[in-house]
Amino acid sequence: MPGQPRTRRVAAVLGALLGTAVLTAVLVSAASAEPRAQSAKGGTYRVGWESSFGFNDNFDPTGEYLANAFAINTNLLLRGLIGYNHVAGPAGAKVVPDLATSVPKPTNGGKRYTFKLKSGIKFGPPVNREITSKDVRYAIERMARPKNGAQYAFWLSPVIKGWDAYSKGKTKSLSGIKTPSAKTIVFDLTAPTGDFLLRLGMPATFPMPEEVAKCFEGKPGEYGRYVIASGPYMIEGSDDLDISSCKSLKPISGFNGQTFMKLVRNPNYDAKTDSRKARENNPDRFEFVVNTNLDDIYAKIGAGELEDSYATASPKVFREYSTNPSKRKYLHSNWADGTYYITMNLTQPPFDDVHVRRAMNWIIDRSALTKAWGGAVSGEVAQHIIPNTMLGGKLNNYRPFKTPGDRGSLAKAKAEMAKSKYANSGGVCSDKACKNVLLITDVRSVDKLILPIVQANAAKIGITFTVRSVNGAYPVIQTTSKNIPISTRPRWFKDYADPSTFIDPLFKGSSIIPEGNTNYALVGVTPGQAKRYGIKGSTTNVPSIDKAAEACAKLVGNSRLNCYAKLDKVLTEQIVPWIPYMSAKTVTILGPKVTKWNFDQNAGFTALAHVAVSK
Amino acid sequence: MSTAEAVVGIAAPESRSPRQQFWIRFKQDKAAVTGGVVIIVLVLLAIFGGPLAERVTAHPQNEPYGSMTDDFGIPRGPNSEFWFGADSAGRDLFVRTMYGARTSLLVGIVASGIAVLIGTVIGLFAGFFGGWADTTLSRGADVMLAVPQLLISIGIVAACSTTKEGCAGGLIKPGLSIVIAVIVLFSWPYVARVVRGNTLSLKQKEFIEASRSIGAGSTRIIAGDVLPNLIAPIIVLATLLVPQSILFEAALSYLGLGVPPDQASWGQILADASGLYDVAWWLMVFPGAFLVVTTLAFNLLGDGLRDALDVRTDR
Repeated sequence: MPGQPRTRRVAAVLGALLGTAVLTAVLVSAASAEPRAQSAKGGTYRVGWESSFGFNDNFDPTGEYLANAFAINTNLLLRGLIGYNHVAGPAGAKVVPDLATSVPKPTNGGKRYTFKLKSGIKFGPPVNREITSKDVRYAIERMARPKNGAQYAFWLSPVIKGWDAYSKGKTKSLSGIKTPSAKTIVFDLTAPTGDFLLRLGMPATFPMPEEVAKCFEGKPGEYGRYVIASGPYMIEGSDDLDISSCKSLKPISGFNGQTFMKLVRNPNYDAKTDSRKARENNPDRFEFVVNTNLDDIYAKIGAGELEDSYATASPKVFREYSTNPSKRKYLHSNWADGTYYITMNLTQPPFDDVHVRRAMNWIIDRSALTKAWGGAVSGEVAQHIIPNTMLGGKLNNYRPFKTPGDRGSLAKAKAEMAKSKYANSGGVCSDKACKNVLLITDVRSVDKLILPIVQANAAKIGITFTVRSVNGAYPVIQTTSKNIPISTRPRWFKDYADPSTFIDPLFKGSSIIPEGNTNYALVGVTPGQAKRYGIKGSTTNVPSIDKAAEACAKLVGNSRLNCYAKLDKVLTEQIVPWIPYMSAKTVTILGPKVTKWNFDQNAGFTALAHVAVSK
Repeated sequence: MSTAEAVVGIAAPESRSPRQQFWIRFKQDKAAVTGGVVIIVLVLLAIFGGPLAERVTAHPQNEPYGSMTDDFGIPRGPNSEFWFGADSAGRDLFVRTMYGARTSLLVGIVASGIAVLIGTVIGLFAGFFGGWADTTLSRGADVMLAVPQLLISIGIVAACSTTKEGCAGGLIKPGLSIVIAVIVLFSWPYVARVVRGNTLSLKQKEFIEASRSIGAGSTRIIAGDVLPNLIAPIIVLATLLVPQSILFEAALSYLGLGVPPDQASWGQILADASGLYDVAWWLMVFPGAFLVVTTLAFNLLGDGLRDALDVRTDR
């Protein structure tokens, strides 16, 4: 620059040089950081699976509802119209577009959803063709055909127009789904349904290639070993599948249905069609291996021979990882969107009296029950039904049965029991209806820990039990004609991130079925149902929440959450079918090779789409 | 030495009844006597131990104590108040071990007693009468021996565990009675085979022929001649069956098929300890020690009785 002294010019040059050097250093540093980020790619993420896969439909997406199958499908194997970002907390429960270009707003008074599909997304080998709207339609129609055993069809059947007629074979296609072009799909609903998008987030609705799936028509679960990928990974050996005819199909070698599942990268997956927020796809390979020895699973995790597990860690594992500073970093505890509870049958004495049910809620030592599951790491004391995480925190401070230390209150229980027709003036149940009440529990070790707490607590207000410890208690309590008065076994987790999944299957009278019933308390049961389903007991004055639930189901957003929060209060305090005692957490113990991890709030399991391992 | 003294000195040996001979031989077997004493103590413990322990400690057997589990629900070990520590639910392990003695011995003694009774009757009948009776009863016992015990036990208990009434019109109810029934069902054939074999051998003996020759009927021969000669093997068998039954109950409880969860038994306590033994040794050690001592005591007593009752045994 003219007029500058020489020394200043030199200084300017030196400054420029220094600045260049600093800039170069930063750039070099950034460049050297890139290989480190790159090093997160690759390797194998190995998951130990306790006892058995336990898939309820052999991994066939049409009928599968195990949360961990959801996790594998939505994170790795399959893509749907909408998806999730597979992260922890409320952000992980928010729908994002996946196959669709955007998340559509409903039209036609909340009864129509129109999706546009992205271009360039192909099925994995050996199908290798672009996914179209007809593939989505095929998957949903497959659900609607009862012979295919879709366990979650009930979430769509009352919602999509023409479902009933199609499922009964009266129409050739589902009139509520239209595919005007290969990249457009339109859903017409019977009524505004606030959580319709969430219902579409279930893998059963994800596109399925008819040319393969048609071979398994009317064979529930058999497609599970032939699942064709649409996501970033495929089952190892998929490319060897001969789809020239149904007869030539042989199960894909990477999943034997019983002991292992191995996933490798899908060569047809194009990351540009996806969002890195939703899927990072770091490992080259995933291995899910069944191991019947729980101790061995955790020993292998500790030794770096496994990265993760689908297993119920015992309290001693919690303690080991919680109290040992060097291991603490490997322990993760995330809200599981589930409630553990004791169910009481509204038709069976003495629980046909709401005062007895309330008294039970007052007397139960929730703190002790939570500790039986392993303490704070595995959950927090719950006093109402829908997990706080699913109500947007609206009932965070709602504690209707609050007692010091959550240990229960004999005085309050007695005061409530005194109002019961079964009690004497001292607030103790003196009626024979309270003696030797049939209680169903399971043979699992944690059930044995819960039982004495419940027995000791209930005895204080005069209720004693005849205990039946059953290996697999659910089928017993799910059979209405068994007329089980009380069970300590139940737990419930969301089907998807909406409070309706805690209300409709658990408390709507219209959801009561004779076998496989999940409304154990029989809220809303009618005398007609009682007669049909072998229910003996008092059914004339059983309260119903059906209308209130239907009103909530139509709402969206904040008003929807408020509605369900209000319904939760009604159930918890006025109807009292449960003794909710713990809001569950999912505990994850990781191996030392895991370099990146997150929790998938939607699936309630590790966000497999975001993990990374050192090689 | 006078002649008279000499006569006394060479007097014929004092004759002893079989019972006296048995007692002398049994008394010489210190291990068997110890076993017998231990069993007496255990029986007293089974009768009085539970209530006494509850009274002394002021800890009801089914009361969980929150202070006896840590923040993770893991039980705490022995201390001045809880002598054996706490079980996995935080209950007093000492009190439950004492009550467990009652359950375990009850199962052992009652189940073995019934099995011995059934086995003896069937074995006697089959061995003595032979022919179609022997074929039918022996093959029946063979069938029972071929049946997988645990699988059938699981089936029976599962089938009868979902209602208050149990099954078979309330005849079979889950709990102690069904455990005893299952043990009896699979134990009697062993007794029957031994009794049948001995009866087959006995009925060829001269004294049986002698009884027949003086006109004794079958019932009289069985009751008066055969049965008394079977007492020794039956007693021995019974003492060996008791610990087997206790262990079988433990196995059933381990599988969740034994006594109800609120009724303490050593097997059940051990079953509950399976996932915690490496962090709560006391869960395994105390009930395990009682189980070992009981099993050992019955085995020692059985061996001693066998030796004392069998005059051919050379010690």
